[in-house]
Amino acid sequence: MATIRTRSRTREMLLRLSAYLAILVALILTLFPVYWIAANSFKFDIDIFAVPPEWVPRNPTLKHYDEAFVQRPFLRYALNSFLVAIGTTVISVTFGTMAGYALARFSYPWQWRKQISFWILSTRMMPPIVSIIPLYLFFNYFDMLNTKSALIIAYTAFNLPFATWMMKSYFQDLPVELEEAAIVDGDTRWGAFVHVALPLARPGLAATAIFCLIISWNEFLLSLVITLTEQSQTLPIGIAGRVTQYSTYWGEISAAGFMACVPIVIFAFLVQKHLVRGLSLGAVKG
Amino acid sequence: MASVRFDNVTKKFGEFVAVHDFNLEIRDKEFLVLLGPSGCGKTTTMRMVAGLEEATTGDIYINSERINDVLPKYRDVAMVFQSYALYPHLSVEDNIGYPLKIRKVPPEEYKRRIGEVARRVELDTMLKRLPKELSGGQRQRVALARAIVRTPRVFLMDEPLSNLDAKLRTQMRAELKHLQHELQVTTIYVTHDQIEAMTLAHRVAVMNRGVIEQLGTPREIYNDPRTLFVAGFIGSPAMNLIPGEVKDGVFASAGLRVGGAGRISIARAVLGVRPEDVHAASAEDPDVNLVASIYSVELTGENTLVSLQLGGRLMTLRADKNFAGQIDQRLGVRIETDRMFLFDAETERRVDF
Repeated sequence: MATIRTRSRTREMLLRLSAYLAILVALILTLFPVYWIAANSFKFDIDIFAVPPEWVPRNPTLKHYDEAFVQRPFLRYALNSFLVAIGTTVISVTFGTMAGYALARFSYPWQWRKQISFWILSTRMMPPIVSIIPLYLFFNYFDMLNTKSALIIAYTAFNLPFATWMMKSYFQDLPVELEEAAIVDGDTRWGAFVHVALPLARPGLAATAIFCLIISWNEFLLSLVITLTEQSQTLPIGIAGRVTQYSTYWGEISAAGFMACVPIVIFAFLVQKHLVRGLSLGAVKG
Repeated sequence: MASVRFDNVTKKFGEFVAVHDFNLEIRDKEFLVLLGPSGCGKTTTMRMVAGLEEATTGDIYINSERINDVLPKYRDVAMVFQSYALYPHLSVEDNIGYPLKIRKVPPEEYKRRIGEVARRVELDTMLKRLPKELSGGQRQRVALARAIVRTPRVFLMDEPLSNLDAKLRTQMRAELKHLQHELQVTTIYVTHDQIEAMTLAHRVAVMNRGVIEQLGTPREIYNDPRTLFVAGFIGSPAMNLIPGEVKDGVFASAGLRVGGAGRISIARAVLGVRPEDVHAASAEDPDVNLVASIYSVELTGENTLVSLQLGGRLMTLRADKNFAGQIDQRLGVRIETDRMFLFDAETERRVDF
């Protein structure tokens, strides 16, 4: 008996060890590029291409940060990205939540719930590039090229279907009796939505918001076509702009790229506690 | 002070008729139980009073006011859900206080009423807890407290005890009955448990396939079932229902002859007799209606349930707790003819004699 137990314990140790090893490999694969960008952003140009590679910056410098954020308008780009991402996220989550709730809860004649849901999703079935020329013409017609509003409208068009579907499936998972109880307790439908469904859907809201925020923060293609001016361009366009005909400014790209990660990471940390599910545990049944 | 009335109410879900041409008046302060198997339309009927379902046709009244088109919030009814439907993100206090908060009850009044209700259901020490930190019985009490914290015109209860264990259920049943007596609020109570129906109700409406099979006091329903369905549904163990034929007032089935049904004749009949109205006798007794062999003997404590083999089916009788018969032993049976019921197997209605 004793031997068997020891053997299984070693086995368990080995299993656990290999699991940690796998996690370590995955972590290195994911985090190394981020680290490399961060490290490069603090190096002089010559050190970026040093052979053998300089794993840790030997002579750290803030030169590239100065170039990117003081001499060049990366601060402006960051602000544009921020405004566009926040605008898109707020609009998409607000309307996506209401639309999702309506699709999850209300009854429709015939098969309309299914048809409308499918139609909403179908708008995402073509690749965004297909819509670029129509969008360009549209914004040109309304004199909205080179504006942040145009970006917000375009991004919302792509985020809203996803937000709607995510919130729809989230509301469908919530027990309907909770809202019925609120309605019988004297609340209106809207009140039941605001007081009961919405607080319980917080994890869903957080997930949807992160999703929308990351999509708009990273978006490149639409922004490239719709915006040309410093006043309207976003970070990804600004960063790509440092790959020029004569040279690629790796230092600046690294500095701006590294700073571009920061807001998303902060936001993800802020909302991650809401992402934890199980808020609706204990709602029904004893 | 409220009575509830259904006038020819029908509820359809697509093609499916859940409630069919339903007529019922629930009197002021009455405890009415809607009893029936699952899918019989009892919950739908109640949800129409709450305003959670709309009647397809027909009218529903509270007192003299037609409420079909009245929003739930103006109906002034309170409901206890089978799942309790406690708001998981709110504390016990906020759960109970929710109906008051919606009605913008002033803070002092709010505190006072929650304190009062919490004491009544013995939750006053747990007001700050969340529902998930409570036991099943305590959650049940929160749901009850939320219903009684304002005095509604009508209480609606949808199988409120079905998630509790047997012991707690018996205790809560008594508390519910006492509470309703104290508060004097008209109550509609939905259950599929006939014991709950019998013990709680002033009147029981037995429902089946969207219609009321029979409406009456528990005693009437038990002693005077009007249809085959009611006869079979009410009573534990269930009434013996034996198919056969009636000729000139004599019921005959395989091995069984019972007289005393006047002079009626029914080609396809069902004899109904409750286990307590069937008595064991000696197999040699010349007065017995039937001699059959014992299939099983079960002692319940207060008495003994004896099952007899009768044709292809079993017949149950309730014997004394000291009954000493053995399996396979032959036993004579005497049926109390004035306590037997005859049903027409075609119409499933009772035939009086």
